[in-house]
Amino acid sequence: MKRAFRRLGIKISDSWTNFINFFKVANTNTKASMSLMGLGQFMYRQVGRGIMYLGVEILGILFFAIYGFQWIVGLFTLGTVQGDPWTGKQGDNSVIFMLLGLMSVFLLILFIALYISNVRDANNTSKLVLKGEKPKKFKDDLKDLLDKKFYKTVLFLPLLGTIIFSVIPIVFMILVAFTNYGEPYIPPVLVDWVGLENFVQIFSLGEIGPTFFKILGWNILWAVATTLLNYVLGLLLAILLNKKIVKGKFFWRLFPILAYAIPGFITLTAFKFMFAQGGPINNMITSNGGSPIPFLTEDGTWWARFIGLMINAWLTIPSVMLLATGILSNINSDLYEAAKIDGAGSARQFKDITLPFVIFATTPTLITSFIGNFNNFGVFYFLRSTVTTEGYFVSNDTDLLINWLYRLSIDNQFYSIGAAISLIIFIITSSISLIIYIKSPAYKKEDTFR
Amino acid sequence: MKTMTLNRSSTKAMNYKVKKVLGAVAIYCVLIIVCAIFLFPCLWLILSSFSATGSLYDTPGFFPESYSFDAFIKLFTDTANHNYPQWLANTLVIAIFNCIFSTLLIIGTAYVISYFQFKARKGLMKSALVLSMFPSFMGMTVIYILMTQFNIVNNIWGLVLIYSCTAPLGYLVQKGFFDTIPQSIYEAAKIDGATNARIFTTITLPLAKPIIVYTALTSFTWPWSDFILPKLLLIEKDNWTVAVGLMQLGQDEFARFAAGSVFIAVPIVVLYFFLVKYMVNGMTSGAVKG
Repeated sequence: MKRAFRRLGIKISDSWTNFINFFKVANTNTKASMSLMGLGQFMYRQVGRGIMYLGVEILGILFFAIYGFQWIVGLFTLGTVQGDPWTGKQGDNSVIFMLLGLMSVFLLILFIALYISNVRDANNTSKLVLKGEKPKKFKDDLKDLLDKKFYKTVLFLPLLGTIIFSVIPIVFMILVAFTNYGEPYIPPVLVDWVGLENFVQIFSLGEIGPTFFKILGWNILWAVATTLLNYVLGLLLAILLNKKIVKGKFFWRLFPILAYAIPGFITLTAFKFMFAQGGPINNMITSNGGSPIPFLTEDGTWWARFIGLMINAWLTIPSVMLLATGILSNINSDLYEAAKIDGAGSARQFKDITLPFVIFATTPTLITSFIGNFNNFGVFYFLRSTVTTEGYFVSNDTDLLINWLYRLSIDNQFYSIGAAISLIIFIITSSISLIIYIKSPAYKKEDTFR
Repeated sequence: MKTMTLNRSSTKAMNYKVKKVLGAVAIYCVLIIVCAIFLFPCLWLILSSFSATGSLYDTPGFFPESYSFDAFIKLFTDTANHNYPQWLANTLVIAIFNCIFSTLLIIGTAYVISYFQFKARKGLMKSALVLSMFPSFMGMTVIYILMTQFNIVNNIWGLVLIYSCTAPLGYLVQKGFFDTIPQSIYEAAKIDGATNARIFTTITLPLAKPIIVYTALTSFTWPWSDFILPKLLLIEKDNWTVAVGLMQLGQDEFARFAAGSVFIAVPIVVLYFFLVKYMVNGMTSGAVKG
């Protein structure tokens, strides 16, 4: 840790001296670009580039002078004027303040990045000129976008989309976790920064704390149980179907593929109906004189958990099977020949060739499926989204954290608590997957089976 | 002496054979049970869609007592409360455009990350990994908040936009495929003076056909099964997708639910049967490479 800090310190001082040196060495044109974006480019007669950089500077300064600066200030204050619907007074909307402020910060970062690229570009051109080459023409720049810089052309849209629809929303929710946004602080009421209060609430004894730990415990149990169950059964099924003795493999595989292909919401709704209080299973029990079993109702804690486990197995075993089948067909058959010559029986071959290879190849997907199951929203949303259990804060005893998150944020508008829980889920899943990833054979010895 | 050994070896062979037959019988029994487990809920749904009464409560057991096409006819004619044809059209539009845009963006991203060695590459990959660790609800909650604040996103094109823009983060499987294309193929074209854009369109894309089919198929079928985002985003009944619409049907309209489900599930299942080879290829290329 100490070393890392020292290294960081060295890095910073290095880049500072580099920066000073750069300023000393830079020629007039580079300095021109430093003072006014695009000026250095104009002096090299790169009109196209010059106009673009200059345009960026003009637009940027106009934007920040008129809106951006104000919006960034708004991000800190989150609004100061309380609106009043009775008198019709227009107040500040904290949520919009936060969003606009966040956007302005991103635009500021973009602006600084473009400024740096402008200086760097002028500097690179000056180096070219020193070497006796001509500055690049705008036409060459455009050509480069289809050849050397083709990656920029292709990545532009995906990057833009990801920033707008993934990065900004996630940063927004991280910010929300440190505010009191949510019942009753919802615009037009002003929202405020509260620091770590939401996290304190989650980890302390109140209404929310105990619910959090109960749900967390069940969530971990669920994720481990369902991942292992599906993995083992799916693998067994694939190995079974891969046996030489089984004829008509394609026919047998059709059934799991059928289950795999049907959209999940259909099967989940169908299963909910199947186990409903008036559903066919309970109908059969009552018509034979029994009393209906509370599969999914308030009292059916362990029934519902068990049914959820089974339904999830039904849904995911086929994909594990397909994956394992593909991997099994990739095993080099020479390995088996060699093992046969050495006198290894089929059990031995399975233990020493098939199993290690399959485990090696599927570890990365094991991680993703663990995280997917930890955050498995669908199963219990369909089975028991209308059930609330006593002792749980707007939740029930089969809800996973992700289901609780949905109820808190969407159904009950406790946005800030929901955002704090999202962050905790992120910390849990990312640290677990980091540990598994580092310990996995696929990470340690990449070339074992090549 | 000789006959004894012969006998012994023949009984041994017999034992071996019996063992083998028993093993085969056991394997087939297991297979039949497994397949029955997978088939039964589907069969139940299909037969229920032909139920004459239509409600879940009327049948004493699993299967209806009398059959008819009523549920299917009602699905398409009785559209006052549940406008199934409209939902079908909405979902089809979303699926087609999501298929086009998502496939373009994912394939482009995966190709660039796999083929080009540029400065920001490692950083981008790591950021994508970190982003994918956040629960997807964070983004959706923001969309929901914006909807309640601005009331703007109630529109199927908003859904297409969000699906396509978040799709490139799932580029890993496709990158795994592009990693397997040998660099030597590209180098030959480069010596001939082809630009990277040309190499991409004339060499890479034709080679990447299996993974393109896989990507297109998965992004086409996703809107048919996703229910969370459309449920948040689409408020008016006429904008609903099939998934959102069917979820609103209660137990007394079970046959209608079953019919609506069967109607969309059959084409998807058929599509999967034909393309299962591509699916497996896509999945394994993601698995081995990580």
